[in-house]
Amino acid sequence: MSTVYLNGKLVEHPHEVHHHVSPVPQYVAVLGALLVLTGVTFLVSFADLGAASLTVAMFVAVIKASLVVGYFMHLKYDDRFHLFIFLGTIIFVGLFFGFTLFDLASRDAINDEQRTFTRIEEDTNKGQPMKIGIDNDLARRAAYDAKHPAEAPEGH
Amino acid sequence: MSTAHTDAHGGEHNPHLAHHFDTMEQQAGAAKLGMWLFLATEILMFSGLFLAYFVIRMFYPEMVLGAHEHLNKFAGGLNTVVLLVSSWTMAMAVRSAQVGKPNNQADIAKIKAFLAMTFACGGIFMVVKYFEYSAKFAHGMLPGKFYTAHLHGYDIPGLPHIFFGIYFVMTGLHGVHVLVGMALMVWIYLRAVRGDFSRQNYAGVENLGLYWHIVDLVWIFLFPLLYLVK
Repeated sequence: MSTVYLNGKLVEHPHEVHHHVSPVPQYVAVLGALLVLTGVTFLVSFADLGAASLTVAMFVAVIKASLVVGYFMHLKYDDRFHLFIFLGTIIFVGLFFGFTLFDLASRDAINDEQRTFTRIEEDTNKGQPMKIGIDNDLARRAAYDAKHPAEAPEGH
Repeated sequence: MSTAHTDAHGGEHNPHLAHHFDTMEQQAGAAKLGMWLFLATEILMFSGLFLAYFVIRMFYPEMVLGAHEHLNKFAGGLNTVVLLVSSWTMAMAVRSAQVGKPNNQADIAKIKAFLAMTFACGGIFMVVKYFEYSAKFAHGMLPGKFYTAHLHGYDIPGLPHIFFGIYFVMTGLHGVHVLVGMALMVWIYLRAVRGDFSRQNYAGVENLGLYWHIVDLVWIFLFPLLYLVK
């Protein structure tokens, strides 16, 4: 046990790293698992899962991330304080995502209910997919619209 | 540092121990704590871009669905494999330092070899990225007002000029991180050549490894979200 001093006084439980060396086969196994999971995500993307595809892709990504963080970055064996920093960050990311997405998803309903704003529909695509990318260059857009009259939106 | 001496508390002095630390373990602990705090800020920075992606996806699902088909799934998949392998070689470089005997040329050669392999993987990643970006530039699949893909015969539904904005900012910031990691790898390689790293002192290699793995971690989420998800 090494000795650590603070202001000339002996520190009872100093904050020190302990050495942990993972065996090579474990690293190989983790790499193998990561490659297999990459293959799974890749193959699943060709199957039409609809709304579930995002959930499945994120589920696999979280498993892969856990393997990298736990084994390659040693968090499984490391000082617990580093795990605390990492998970604390993830919690703040969750708050950031949760509140922002909740706000944006519920704003329309609240605006309609309280009649806070009157939405102007003329300048929107009214929920329809747009046929071509919007071109901010007005001259270029006019030239394109002239060439493709069938696709030209009204009013341009 | 030239003469072997004992520290103020009677222990054998490691030449890599800075005078304001008592032990190598304490010094390595401080370095690693600092690195984890930096990685926390990295995660928070990238989370802003991921949130932008999810917000745009929530409001304009047809935009993501229409435009992501034009990304090269195989190039993205190849880069994923390359980065995962590089994470393994990086972890092995750290391990080689952890078990390396001081001033042992064979052990130093192992650290150097794994660092060189990791650097090479970073290089392959950037080369694939270069070809992907070149194809996007050539087809006018660019952000905002630079978007001209419809003049190149691609009618992509939705708002592809916004999708390609998100695509270039996310993959671009990630690519910058890969380049920074490669530059740091040159520095750590030169320190390994100098014989700095062994089981008595490996915090430098370990912290580079932590950085490299977080770059890999970002790509693990970027790849399915941008290239694969329907």
